[in-house]
Amino acid sequence: MSDPTTRATDAAISLQEVRKSFGRVVAVGGISLDIADGEFLTLLGPSGCGKTTTMRMIAGFEEPDEGRILLRGRDVVGVPPNKRDVNMCFQHYALFPHMSVQENVEYGLKLRKVPREERRRRVAEMLEVVRLEGFEKRKPAQLSGGQQQRVALARALVNRPTALLLDEPLGALDVKLRKQMQLELKRIQHELGTTFVYVTHDQEEALSMSDRITVVNQGLIEQVGRPRDVYERPATPFVADFVGVLNALEVRADEVRDGRVVVRISDRERLVVPTGDRPVSAGTELLVAVRPERVWLRAPADETSADSRLEGTVRQVVYLGTLTQFYVDTTLGARLVVHELSDRRASGFVAEDRVVLTWDAEDAAILRVE
Amino acid sequence: MNPAVSRGGRRSLWIFFALLVVFLYAPILILIVFSFNDRTFVSFPWQGFTFRWYREFVHNSALLGALRTSALVATLTSVVTVVLAIPASILLVRRRFFAKGAVSGLLLAPLVIPLVVFGIALLILFNTVGIPLSPLTVAIGHIVIALPFAILTMVPRLERISVSLEEASRDLGAGPLRTFRSITLPLLAPAVLSAFLIVFTISFDEVVVASFIAGDQPTFPLYLFSQLRLPQRLPQVIAVAVVVMTVSSIVVIASEVGRRLADRRLERVANLQQEVSAG
Repeated sequence: MSDPTTRATDAAISLQEVRKSFGRVVAVGGISLDIADGEFLTLLGPSGCGKTTTMRMIAGFEEPDEGRILLRGRDVVGVPPNKRDVNMCFQHYALFPHMSVQENVEYGLKLRKVPREERRRRVAEMLEVVRLEGFEKRKPAQLSGGQQQRVALARALVNRPTALLLDEPLGALDVKLRKQMQLELKRIQHELGTTFVYVTHDQEEALSMSDRITVVNQGLIEQVGRPRDVYERPATPFVADFVGVLNALEVRADEVRDGRVVVRISDRERLVVPTGDRPVSAGTELLVAVRPERVWLRAPADETSADSRLEGTVRQVVYLGTLTQFYVDTTLGARLVVHELSDRRASGFVAEDRVVLTWDAEDAAILRVE
Repeated sequence: MNPAVSRGGRRSLWIFFALLVVFLYAPILILIVFSFNDRTFVSFPWQGFTFRWYREFVHNSALLGALRTSALVATLTSVVTVVLAIPASILLVRRRFFAKGAVSGLLLAPLVIPLVVFGIALLILFNTVGIPLSPLTVAIGHIVIALPFAILTMVPRLERISVSLEEASRDLGAGPLRTFRSITLPLLAPAVLSAFLIVFTISFDEVVVASFIAGDQPTFPLYLFSQLRLPQRLPQVIAVAVVVMTVSSIVVIASEVGRRLADRRLERVANLQQEVSAG
């Protein structure tokens, strides 16, 4: 992590070495992060990892013990939530039950003393954006979960905040509605160009919506990157495990050549992995990961030009609809998961079949160097 | 087997319930009957229907004065108590602070202090400090007695108002006071009304403490007690009791209906959110 004093501060939100403990429990152990204007950034991590605390510190509901939080370059530590130019979408929407949709949405504008006419116009505009025209007079109790979610969005966005903070906003919706709202959120964010900071523990949600994902674990950032980078080149074992299925092999490097590590296992079996920017030399112990859908299953007799080749025995086959999942015990001892499309080209292997696993060097990554 | 489920158990529970209702409400029913009985002695036989006792008490200025005193004391008590109980409840529910257990214990202690002890203590205190006894001193005593009831009425309601509603209000730009006025208070209103009625009733009814510190302006229950020595006044007293009871029943029932309607509104939101998350 770079020195916080030299960091650019033209970001919409800038966290600099932020720490927060509750009693003896460290919730956030030193997080630095710049969030660009108009970016959709996701804080992804398991419950209790500090992602919600981080968001609440941006909103002003918690104060950091150490570090700085800049909103458009202004340090807001110590500024109460009502004086911060960010708005939040709460997990259970927190709509005011005694107010109509109109009153809920215009609450923030009223507090900012926006004149009545403009208020009307902006509320109508925003209800159009979230597709709730005609619901102005309804009370929250008369709306479905998805509609309540839209009101919560409109209520926050109508204030045109520097950033919108969303705390697991889709957690309370059923799967179908959740998928639909994911698309909606992306559309709304695109339409308004607002910075979105999105907290979730759902890796699929994070991968499908974010411009960048910040994976948080035990109060620290594990990796920041575009969804594809985080998924395909996880920086740590935790990321590999949390985002997707962890397929990890403990091996010893035999040779390092042209930015690639070669591990010879037997005459016909070897692994090739890009070094990335890791300090690897012959003899180094490595943890290597490969994504399940990047592995090909072949019969032992098949010729292959793939970089990596590993033999094993199928232990279990699980049919998942679009995908079929194979659990394969390799000669290295570790069990690998392989995903195969359940289409006409499916290999049709069953339990106890001897197979060969192959993949290209670029599809594997080093997770850890001992 | 659970006695509430077995057939014999259910029957005996019904009998128990019937007895309870009879013992609670039969005396009140008899009171209503006698208030219309045209006879000075409060006993059967029935001697004809009359409004005489009602007419008489309306012209009894001492009695009306006592009613006025009690109304004044009860109003003062309920307003002050509720105003004190709102911040106390918010503090107990929303904040964590040093010695919170001790503070809530102190606030709720009057529930278990014998009223006789408290009455004597107040009398000595007022005498020592030199505060003359008046309806005001009665109100002070009643505020202390009633405060725990008001707090205990509001705390459960407050616990059901999600903190995130208040946070959402802050987030949208409202300061703490504005948030209280626009969000917390409107949602707490039904409990505030209940507390107001409960405290009013407690104060209006209270005899023990009042008997020590009322001075020369008796409250309504004190006046009633003093009249028990005069048998010819008894029918009047009964008539007043019926009027007071009727009025208070109407008020309590009306407020309860109002509270339920407001509650149902909150509940619908909660249910909807539950359904959504379950689905």
